[in-house]
Amino acid sequence: MARTEAVALRREATAAAWWRINATALLFMGPALLLVLVFFLAPVVITFTMSLTDLATSTGLSNWQWIGLENFARIFRSQFWLTILGNTVVYVAVVLAFNVLVGLGVALLTMHMEPKAGGVFRALWLLPRISPSVVYALLWVWAAASPPFGMLNYIVAPFGLEQRFWLQSDPWLIVILINGFVGASFGMLIFTSAIKAIPEDLFRAARVDGASALQIVRRITLPLIKWPILFVLVYQTMSLFASYEYIYLTTNGGPGLYATETWSLWAFHTALSNYYGNLEFAYGAAMSAILVLMGLAISIVLLRVFRFGQLVAEPRVEVE
Amino acid sequence: MSKRTAESRVATDYRLSRRQFLIATGATIAAAACATPPAGQGAPTGGAPLGTVKLSAWTIGPDAPSYYRRDNLVAAADKLNAKLGSGTNVQVDATFESGGQWGDYLQKFTLAAEAKTSPDIILAGHENFAPWVGPGYIVPLDDLIAKYQSEGDVKDVIPTLWTAMKLKGKTYGIPQDTEARPMYYRKDLLAKMGWSKDMIERLPDAVKNGEFAWPDLVLWAKEAISKGLVEPGKGWYSRPSKGADIYMFYYQNGGEMQDNATAKLVITKDALQKHFQVHADAVLNDKIMTKTIYGMDAGKEWHPTVTDGKVLFYNAGTWTWKDWQATYKVAEQSLWDNVGFMLIPAAKRGGKPVTVSHPLAYAVTSNAKDKDLAFRLIANATTPDLNSKHSVTSAHLAVLTTQKDDPTYKQDKFLLATQYMLDYTKFIPNHPKFGIYDDVLYRFLGAVEQGQNTPAQAVDGAVKELQGQLGDELIVR
Repeated sequence: MARTEAVALRREATAAAWWRINATALLFMGPALLLVLVFFLAPVVITFTMSLTDLATSTGLSNWQWIGLENFARIFRSQFWLTILGNTVVYVAVVLAFNVLVGLGVALLTMHMEPKAGGVFRALWLLPRISPSVVYALLWVWAAASPPFGMLNYIVAPFGLEQRFWLQSDPWLIVILINGFVGASFGMLIFTSAIKAIPEDLFRAARVDGASALQIVRRITLPLIKWPILFVLVYQTMSLFASYEYIYLTTNGGPGLYATETWSLWAFHTALSNYYGNLEFAYGAAMSAILVLMGLAISIVLLRVFRFGQLVAEPRVEVE
Repeated sequence: MSKRTAESRVATDYRLSRRQFLIATGATIAAAACATPPAGQGAPTGGAPLGTVKLSAWTIGPDAPSYYRRDNLVAAADKLNAKLGSGTNVQVDATFESGGQWGDYLQKFTLAAEAKTSPDIILAGHENFAPWVGPGYIVPLDDLIAKYQSEGDVKDVIPTLWTAMKLKGKTYGIPQDTEARPMYYRKDLLAKMGWSKDMIERLPDAVKNGEFAWPDLVLWAKEAISKGLVEPGKGWYSRPSKGADIYMFYYQNGGEMQDNATAKLVITKDALQKHFQVHADAVLNDKIMTKTIYGMDAGKEWHPTVTDGKVLFYNAGTWTWKDWQATYKVAEQSLWDNVGFMLIPAAKRGGKPVTVSHPLAYAVTSNAKDKDLAFRLIANATTPDLNSKHSVTSAHLAVLTTQKDDPTYKQDKFLLATQYMLDYTKFIPNHPKFGIYDDVLYRFLGAVEQGQNTPAQAVDGAVKELQGQLGDELIVR
């Protein structure tokens, strides 16, 4: 009996100590935790739950039934799921490469320009990001219209290239460019601020030692902005994985058989966009649930590969 | 105390003397007399509530030439109020919603219906009712139609249109408008190819009689291209986006979309292959239609090109006749001089031509507090004068048999000249999963036109996909 009481007392003491240590942290974290629960975790739970039903416009909220994993089986019965998955991988990989390389290139180039000119140049590159999405997408749609219309056709004509309906003949080119320019401006902002944060002494010392511009970039700039590059890579990967708005507004997943349809657009089309009004919420939720699982898997891989723990550790400067 | 004794006591307690009975009877008669409006002012009929009743209605739009979809409901309120008398005053809040975007409009209604904030009356395409019946967003109208037979002119609705209003034997809508989707042709271009004026004017009859069939249309389109009258790819323009028009070429080749007995969706493989072949030939083999038709911008490219007289044949709705005048500023006389219209020619000579109609209809929602009044408002908007105003303004065909005698309607020679097309018309099916069916077939049509699939491959692929997605809701023939 006495032993039981002692154990209980020890437990109480441990709990009290835990609260003493963590109460303040919980107080500060509480609101954020609540937001995460309500706006991040709850939608995921709802999506997974909904994916096990047949909820659609034709059932309403009053007439739905549990159907187990039928929605998931239906996804894999479609002959296009692999095509759409492939599209998603290509879209994320190519646009990501464009975003990071072009963003980095613009940041490096503008940092080597006269400051005012560099500022103007960067401001121009920001235009796609600060333009409303629909306006920006429509500008592309009009620019890529079929001949004799479309600004792109006028641009390529002097080079002897055949005029064409770009959205139909080269849909991926348009999808990559439209997303790439928006994403590149994000990378450019992060990289520019990171480069500006590098102590000027390092560049001056390198120049005194006779380093060329290329050597300075390779030996000083790039190593010192390794973390911002990783941040942009990770952030943009996850962002692209779930984004579809520019594809929706330009090719809408076509032409023809899901040529540019990505997984998130497929889910959107199924759950929230149907020409004849019968929306399949649960089937779309099943697609979203798979998207969540894929996102989770990619997140874990990225966190491990890029050692995310170090990314959020104390700031530091690394010099080779 | 026995039960019998208690009942006797209650009866004794409430027994009236003769004087009390006479006073009570007199008072009741006097009260009833005071509550009854004087003759001539009209009493509320059909159990209408006293006082002001507000009814709300959603119609899609604003759609430039089709504003009577909303305005006719407002006008009908005056007719209804006159019938109801002074005791009841119906006020209508009818609005245009979603800027003419169907997807947004339908979604908005669905969400409103779930939130129990939907309007009393909704205007929608007949096929939109199918997914709304299951969750009970709209109510069947058969009892109300029977109850208010003399209200408005619902009894005069063109019989074939009722087919499109029914789902599993029940009626869910009252037709608001309908149309046909003709094949337009350029008279001036045919004349340049040596057609006499008489031949050009007789073309619609030749199509009607099966003397001018699809291969003839293709032949003349190729001829126009070879003679340089139109550019390659501009012999025929089909609809550039999703829509019921696409199915005209499936129906043309004997396709079926819904089984009458089971109401299941149907795919006719042979007709589907011919439908795909028509488009493959047009785009890839005969090159009478441009490959860029799929996804072409209707407002910025399709309409400007056809109204410029650069395309020989092009299929569109009857409403575009007015749209070309209102939006693209083509003078009506110029249209009459240069543009003709006919049914979609039969697949072979001697066959039956076809068109497709897509009636819009008013429905009463389950959220309507007074369904009788909501229906009566619709019924009063369904009259020759109001429907004809809409028809004439927007080039939509009559939905009432009596409209042909309406003075407004009779003055519109385009409507009179296209009305016969309803005898050849077909509808898209009323089925809750039609959206899936349509999406698959439209994507495969695109694949055929882009050369991604041959027609045979597209049929196999489409049937397999439809079977996977629709399961036993699909019948393959």
